[in-house]
Amino acid sequence: MLTEFGKILIFFILGAVFVAGGLIMSWMLRPHKPYPAKLTSYECGEEPVGQAWVRFNVRFYVLALVFLIFEVEIIFLFPWALVYRELGLFAFLEMAVFLFILWVGYAYVWVKGDLNWDKPEPKVPTLNRLYQQTGRPEPARI
Amino acid sequence: MNPQEIHDNLKAKFGAAVSDAKLDAIQPWIGITPDGILEVCQFLHGEAGFEFDFLSCLSGVDYNDGKLGVVYHLFSMPQKHKIALKAICTKEKPHVQSVSQVWGTANWHEREAYDMFGIVFDGHPDLRRILCGDDYPGHPLRKDFKVPEFYNGMKVPY
Amino acid sequence: MGILNYKFEKSNIVIASLDGLLNWARLSSLYQMQFGLACCAIEMMAASASNFDIMRFGVIPRATPRQCDVMIVSGTVTLKMATRIKRLFDQMPEPRYVISMGSCSNCGGPYWEHGYHVLKGVDRVIPVDVYVPGCPPRPEALLEGLIKLQEKVRQESLAKKTI
Repeated sequence: MLTEFGKILIFFILGAVFVAGGLIMSWMLRPHKPYPAKLTSYECGEEPVGQAWVRFNVRFYVLALVFLIFEVEIIFLFPWALVYRELGLFAFLEMAVFLFILWVGYAYVWVKGDLNWDKPEPKVPTLNRLYQQTGRPEPARI
Repeated sequence: MNPQEIHDNLKAKFGAAVSDAKLDAIQPWIGITPDGILEVCQFLHGEAGFEFDFLSCLSGVDYNDGKLGVVYHLFSMPQKHKIALKAICTKEKPHVQSVSQVWGTANWHEREAYDMFGIVFDGHPDLRRILCGDDYPGHPLRKDFKVPEFYNGMKVPY
Repeated sequence: MGILNYKFEKSNIVIASLDGLLNWARLSSLYQMQFGLACCAIEMMAASASNFDIMRFGVIPRATPRQCDVMIVSGTVTLKMATRIKRLFDQMPEPRYVISMGSCSNCGGPYWEHGYHVLKGVDRVIPVDVYVPGCPPRPEALLEGLIKLQEKVRQESLAKKTI
């Protein structure tokens, strides 16, 4: 009576109802009393200074991009793995070609240094400046 | 070195800066003028034989007769002797030279003396209140200080 | 009522009002805003540690006020800190409660007479629900204060204005 896709549709509808129902119930039951002091940004009790939207280092973007590409590759591998036994050698060679193309890209990314995690240089604290001024030997750093 | 020798050496080198001394007290102290304290401390810190490399404490005092003072307790780790210095100034001109470039710990101790007594340290890199709030009226540990009635809308007395 | 009729002896059925259910959920998971200021903070830490274990009441310390239900003010409140306490209390979402732990935050404590920079009681800036006396109160005293707060939460109602 119901096709397979119909069952998936019921699944999605029930999922949406479940989530929406929970959110609507909590919206109805929770108190809502906003006032300006409550809506200020949290800065450990001080007055907030500056913007909350800051600039991030680009290494996060590069990593997310590389991850996304290989994640999509993995998603393609899943249905292929399920029907591999029926298809035989042809499927193996086709997927090998697909993976080889992606491995070329992977090697390029690796050699170019996009996988290096570049941290900013840490600032090393200096010892008592008096040692430089008076010429006494500094104690050894352990 | 005992306190008498320290006092004699200081008097010989900085005659004008050394004002008075009480060397038979429980903690022998040497009085220095507020304008000469930096030179004296640099001498005591760097000179061989003295080498006072540890500032144990720096405290402010209100003598209740119109004078404010700063007391320095010095200790020497290599030579293992100690001495106290006093720099006395008036309430009308509460200025003392800062020794924060000689001992790093004096930085915060002088900020506390400024916060509690109002003694201004000339040459201090960052003289601002450390314990009380930045807009607190007055200097609390002075003898003529009155507790404010309200501070930022909060009632202060019990 | 014909269906129920006091039939179920082995307590498989639970009937609760919405108020009761919500209050039970809220009091069993009071996330605390850790506000240890002075010596009472050590006793609060002792209450969080294994011997007295405040976590068995559902109290988990959260560092941000946005996720907290209860703020336990433990320690001396200076005037400098009081403005921050007010701001952080304002940033807590309702329903929010305050436990004042120790003499200093109840009434100024040993600094009531001469303290020039001590706020004589945190209830001069924020509304307090439970006062736990002691200097410092033992961890069991803090746990009793927490249980009293739970009793207070149990009486709350969605429809009637309580805060």
